[in-house]
Amino acid sequence: MKLHVVGQNNMRVDAAAKVTGKALYPEDVSLEGMFIGKTLRSHKPHACITIDTSRAEAMEGVVKVLTYKDVPHNHYGVLMKDHEVFCSEKVRRIGDPIAFVVAVDEEVASKALAKIKVEYRELKAVFDPEVAMHQDAPKLHGESNIVYHYKLRQGDIEKGLEESAVVVENTYVTPMVDHVFLQPEAGVAHMEKDTIVVTTATQYPHFDQLEIAEALEVEKEKVKVINAAVGGAFGGREDITLQIHLALATKLTGKPVKAVYSREESFIAHAKRHAMVMTYKTGADEEGKLKAMEARIIGDTGAYASWAINIMRKAGVHATGPYEIPNVKVDSYAVYTNNPFGGAMRGFGATQPPIAHEQQMDMLAEALNIDPISIRLTNAFKIGSKTATGQILKDSVPLRQCIEAVAEKLGFSVVSRGV
Amino acid sequence: MKEIKLKVNHKDYHVAIEEDMRLLDLLRNRLNLTGTKEGCGEGECGACTVIMDGITVNSCMVMAFQAENREIFTIEGLEKGGRLDPIQQAFLDEGAVQCGFCTPGMVLSAKALLDKNPKPTREEIREGISGNLCRCTGYNKIVDAIEKASEYRKEE
Amino acid sequence: MKKRGKGIGSIFYGTGYGNGFPDVSRSVAVLRKDGKVKIYTGATEVGQGSKTVLSQIAAETLGISIEDVIFICEDTSITPDAGTAAASRQTYNTGNAIKKSCEELKRKIIDVTVKASGADAWEEINLRDVALNHKGQILKGEGEFIAETTEMKDETGQGNPYWPYTFNVYGVEVEVDTTNGVVEVIKAVCAQDVGRAINPKLIEGQMDGGFAMGLSYALFEDLNIKNGEIKHNKLTNYLIPTAMDVPDLEKIIVEDPEATGPYGAKGIGEPVMIGVAPAILNAIYDAIGVRITELPATPNKILLALKKKREVAL
Repeated sequence: MKLHVVGQNNMRVDAAAKVTGKALYPEDVSLEGMFIGKTLRSHKPHACITIDTSRAEAMEGVVKVLTYKDVPHNHYGVLMKDHEVFCSEKVRRIGDPIAFVVAVDEEVASKALAKIKVEYRELKAVFDPEVAMHQDAPKLHGESNIVYHYKLRQGDIEKGLEESAVVVENTYVTPMVDHVFLQPEAGVAHMEKDTIVVTTATQYPHFDQLEIAEALEVEKEKVKVINAAVGGAFGGREDITLQIHLALATKLTGKPVKAVYSREESFIAHAKRHAMVMTYKTGADEEGKLKAMEARIIGDTGAYASWAINIMRKAGVHATGPYEIPNVKVDSYAVYTNNPFGGAMRGFGATQPPIAHEQQMDMLAEALNIDPISIRLTNAFKIGSKTATGQILKDSVPLRQCIEAVAEKLGFSVVSRGV
Repeated sequence: MKEIKLKVNHKDYHVAIEEDMRLLDLLRNRLNLTGTKEGCGEGECGACTVIMDGITVNSCMVMAFQAENREIFTIEGLEKGGRLDPIQQAFLDEGAVQCGFCTPGMVLSAKALLDKNPKPTREEIREGISGNLCRCTGYNKIVDAIEKASEYRKEE
Repeated sequence: MKKRGKGIGSIFYGTGYGNGFPDVSRSVAVLRKDGKVKIYTGATEVGQGSKTVLSQIAAETLGISIEDVIFICEDTSITPDAGTAAASRQTYNTGNAIKKSCEELKRKIIDVTVKASGADAWEEINLRDVALNHKGQILKGEGEFIAETTEMKDETGQGNPYWPYTFNVYGVEVEVDTTNGVVEVIKAVCAQDVGRAINPKLIEGQMDGGFAMGLSYALFEDLNIKNGEIKHNKLTNYLIPTAMDVPDLEKIIVEDPEATGPYGAKGIGEPVMIGVAPAILNAIYDAIGVRITELPATPNKILLALKKKREVAL
């Protein structure tokens, strides 16, 4: 195939605006007569609340204080709809939005936040997902904290482990981390006749449009999302943050409303990479051929599910690493706790398991006196390989090339055995 | 309220400022120079970098009144006669821009570095931009771009 | 004492939503009055370069230059839904949708041109003339692409959840200072399967960025959450790498075109960061003989692990 543009290092079409400072991110947009919005957030990880906004609302310069009472449909979320736009009776994590002050300027909005009275009646909280899995643990939503359990079964795990010359076991722990996209959340909303326009930075404008329309109970066509320049995302702009707040504020006041998060608020507002505890048992024969792998992976999704189901499923599917293993047993769980909520972040559940499976590979190699490159080449997926989910890899599997290229460049000594 | 005089991008300004106003707010909100970005508000990320009397500062950490009678350069002041500064051109050519939010501050730190040290080593470049965080590029193409800019400036 | 070690991390990554979830991208290609082509799609430019890569796919399909592609993706009221800018799916999914929309536009242009002038080869057609000669008529092509994915069985997890899969391998050399526990990555190589490289420079940019984020995940990042409260909630205490912390990365782009990808391309945005942390952890073991099983591998954890190792040896 002769290609004339594909394969070329074309200059980025958006770069000229960015190097000159002309690219407009949402915080760079200002509209005539706009109000400023600020969010009041929970200070407690688990509590029943009562809210009194009267003193804030009485302040000069305060236009409106939005709470759950103002939201026609107070639920949203990428899958489970377990978030409230503003908490009505209960907060489930530190940082849950409770109210949104709309005021003439930032100073008034900040002062008004301090005037809102929130009474917290604290509830027992749970922060360890393994504890949260027990029936007697405090519940976040409904009857159980286990949001999801993915089961992967192939072959006979007991037989596979028995047939292994070496079995290595370990538990691996990864923490919640943040995206730290450089541009904190920001947005401006305004009315165009009877259409609500929200200018923001998001990964998925059409989904934001849908979530805003559902929360406000307006037709989807009456909501328009404009995506300004996006200052990085990495998964952290999958879940809604300020979009519904701004849309509601402009709809109720009729005026443009803008909000810009500080870095600290950004940390508390959006999802985190799931913390995981991964317990692995991996067996291989004397040649280093993998025979069995068993894994139990517990993912902490914090107070809300966000993408937890898809993420812990992805962790389970990718638990083996890129290797043929005839006998596999994986159980992965997504569990609610009163921690910050877990969600999408670059790798989406497939980033954590390699911390485990790749160290397991090196441990096997060492036990069998094989080098790390050879043991990977012995087991690496190739065209026609069957994954642990039974999927046949039918095309484009250049894993071996990748391993060999890295080994050569880094000068790995390959003491080949059985390759 | 206080009235101050300052020069920004070769232009003289007389502006009324509040005592607690930051230089960053003055540039963004009063002078409408929104190319200067705020990423952290505490001088860690460098997105708000501007050049004041030849030295880079985090404009979120400088009060507006401290800019009195000073000369400031922001990203908007780099183009000459509609032509990009060699550093801006090098950022384009080397693919040093991704989300672009760190870019204005990064370009100004590069300018301050090259004004002082026209031919820096890669290590000196890394040090020169170590006050500017970038989450997208891993810095390597930014270092490439500043090396390239050093060559472009020599040619000019 | 400073000790050196090497490590490797090898991974696979299924792109797209997965597990049978409808994974749809849409695009509309319209011939403009001046002969340029407008592409309307909801795919977001988050910094990864999708606007450029997807414009290249359009330009390739229509045999025009990238300057003649006007890419519009910022407004939900005029663009079709193309799914989220996540799951490393935009180059593959929306790339395919754009290719289809451009192919349909191409067919329509050939139709009207052949009828009018008898030209039959695409190369002979001048888009500006076509636009001029068909002023009253809107020439547009629509494209929709749905990724291949099936729902897995409840009890066994068997099925074909994702397609395609992208592969990535990192190799690093580290230097560990056993007196203070500091780990420095001194050399790094990444081999990235891309299917087909649409824009090699942008792919390299993703590799560099993924490397920095993976290095940071392995060595620095910790929100320090205590009783549900994020204690590291500022950039003064939540550390991400500066230019001083990231060494140069040797980048190897491995091409092995994927039959279902646009010109063979696959998604790479996520895979580029995944192999980094395991490679670093394996290199730390190679250097000092201790396994760090809890991230991040801070100096404190390294020193503790070394102390434990000495105690066991005694």
